[in-house]
Amino acid sequence: MPNKFNFFNKKPRYIELPINPQMQQQQQKSLPPNADTAVGENGAPPAIPDGLWIKCDFCGELLYKKDFAADLKVCKNCGHHYRMNAQERLEMIVDEDTFNEFNAGLISLNPLDFDGYDKKLLALREKTGMNEAVVTGYGKIDGYDAVIGVMDSNFIMGSMGSVVGEKVTRAFEYAAEKKLPIIIFTASGGARMQEGMFSLMQMAKTSAAAGFCAQAGQLYITVLTDPTTGGVTASFAMLGDILLSEPQALIGFAGKRVGEQTIGQKLPEGFQTAEFLLEHGFIDQIVARKDMKATLAQLLALHVKN
Amino acid sequence: MFKRILIANRGEIAVRVIRACREMGIQTVAVYSEIDRHALHVDLADHAICIGPAKARDSYLNIENIISATVLAGAEAIHPGFGFLAENSRFAEMCRECNIAFIGPDPEVIDMMGNKSKARQIMVQAEVPVIPGIDGLLEDFKHAQRAADIIGYPVMLKASAGGGGKGIRIVRSPDDLKKAYDTAKSEAKAAFNDDSMYMEKYLEEPRHIEFQILADSYGNVIHLGERDCSIQRRNQKVIEEAPSMLLTEELRQKMGDTAVRAAKTVGYQNAGTVEFLVDKAGNFYFMEMNTRIQVEHGVTELVTGIDLVQEQIKIAAGEKLSYTQEDIKLHGHAIECRINAENPSLNFRPSPGKVNVMLWPGGNGVRLDSAIYNGYEIPPTYDSMIAKLLTYGRNREEALNKMNRALEEFVIEGIDNNIDFLFQILSHEKFIKGQFNITFIDKEFSYR
Repeated sequence: MPNKFNFFNKKPRYIELPINPQMQQQQQKSLPPNADTAVGENGAPPAIPDGLWIKCDFCGELLYKKDFAADLKVCKNCGHHYRMNAQERLEMIVDEDTFNEFNAGLISLNPLDFDGYDKKLLALREKTGMNEAVVTGYGKIDGYDAVIGVMDSNFIMGSMGSVVGEKVTRAFEYAAEKKLPIIIFTASGGARMQEGMFSLMQMAKTSAAAGFCAQAGQLYITVLTDPTTGGVTASFAMLGDILLSEPQALIGFAGKRVGEQTIGQKLPEGFQTAEFLLEHGFIDQIVARKDMKATLAQLLALHVKN
Repeated sequence: MFKRILIANRGEIAVRVIRACREMGIQTVAVYSEIDRHALHVDLADHAICIGPAKARDSYLNIENIISATVLAGAEAIHPGFGFLAENSRFAEMCRECNIAFIGPDPEVIDMMGNKSKARQIMVQAEVPVIPGIDGLLEDFKHAQRAADIIGYPVMLKASAGGGGKGIRIVRSPDDLKKAYDTAKSEAKAAFNDDSMYMEKYLEEPRHIEFQILADSYGNVIHLGERDCSIQRRNQKVIEEAPSMLLTEELRQKMGDTAVRAAKTVGYQNAGTVEFLVDKAGNFYFMEMNTRIQVEHGVTELVTGIDLVQEQIKIAAGEKLSYTQEDIKLHGHAIECRINAENPSLNFRPSPGKVNVMLWPGGNGVRLDSAIYNGYEIPPTYDSMIAKLLTYGRNREEALNKMNRALEEFVIEGIDNNIDFLFQILSHEKFIKGQFNITFIDKEFSYR
């Protein structure tokens, strides 16, 4: 780099930080030879530990992992809502120390003797620390009582087998019996194919349970999160009295490719996103994650008697 | 001791830190934005790394790039200067995770002092006097009446979401409270959509007096006396001096002990400043603590003979303080004028551009901290402060005479500057007599 103002005889060497990663290798060589003598605070040289930053898949912004967690897994630059697990979501929504889980011990059997299903369930239980793809229970939201269900896409893509269906059904029944509002956060790839017909009948069962709860006069709010598809969309997910969604969530029944092949047409841009659904009147409101708890609390406040 | 330090700043303070490092035999790495290619700090440093485009957000506030630059350049420590990332606890935390020494306090302490209400609570516990006010927020008008009676008029009503002077009312008697309460509330509602109010005692014409602290990592804390920064324009300091004319030796000792106690309570390390407001009766109240080197640190250096930036570096490198409180003696008097590239008659509009001719003052008792030179192009992107002119004399009169003389010698052509405005302040009778407070410029000058 040309230097117009030459103040000192021993000129500094200039370093330009590489803009693209390919340049990085090449740049390393021309750096000042101090790296081997440099010693940081506790004896080791300064270095950037792995995973200090997360790169946003959508806008490329670097996000500090602690900021990312504090921002509820939303990119501070582009606002993309990353998926949350059930635990994180409960922490975000439910008042501290008020959550009592229902039926935590229910686990799936392998009714079809589906090859490898047992193993898969065992491995996932260990990895996620959950027994199934939905957590249900009773808790308080800003002081308002509610039955709460949260699905988790980390457990076989939140698919609905007999246990998911049963837990959701019991949650509806509890809400109806105790006269409580019910809120379900959905995230699912659909029915669980490993349980075949046992899975498919959960659609009818949960829908009937939602109906039972409605007849008992209880408020049912669904919060559609990324992704809510297949048999869950086609059953209890879309039956809420109020349908909320997180921004940019994928919501649909069959996937885009299947849809295009079936009707022989190109699907419009943004098809099956929360925004598209809102525009076409399928859902009531898109709520950013930071506003979710306040919005739910407000809805509950409006529906509480007295 | 560190072998190489990266300075995550620009302008005069970057130059100041580089100078300290050179005197200590430490190599320096400057960082710069594209527009600062020809800035003085880039030339003075041993190495220089471009960290992004002109906008501060993309360069001097770009944590990822600054940390990458530090690791690539093999620097063991970062000096943040003031402004930019100096009081960013996340940045300090990331430095720690990357095994880089942050020359400043721990991120936890930065956080604690950065949160005003938390800092206030801690100071109350440490028995540091704070401006009397209510705990929490005002519930209703009746609460406001009760609170005002307890605190004593005049009181200040403040919107808790406040900013930019909106939602603030000074109430001098119970008769005015109702109207002030209602209007402040509706103003806050309109401006911030949040009408929650807070109430504290309103101090009439206080002085801004701050104490310089040094604390090492072994629990030793000392203070280096005070600076009087009451000459302010819209909360921006213009002229600072040490020592303050207002303080008696007794009050100085009392305030200094309080500042040391405040720093000890939060486990402070490195250089910091405890700011107080002092009323006419000599009552002092904690305002805030700045967890960094200050712009006006030079006046303290002149009256104590201690290089604060070098001390910062030594503390960060784990050295013990080499002074005790008894070693600190204030000698003589020092004054600092901030020279800004701005036009006072055009509402202090910044005046960036090329410095065609610059002739800087010198001579006995004159110190100039600056980053501009003949032919330098001042970018419009950053702060308009271009130089700090300091003078030192055996007493205030001598220091003032030198300041007048030095300002007369100072020639800057090509850009507008505030030297004439500084002259006006220096020749004001009340300033000369030392009878001023933080409302001085507002009250005595037509352009403010």
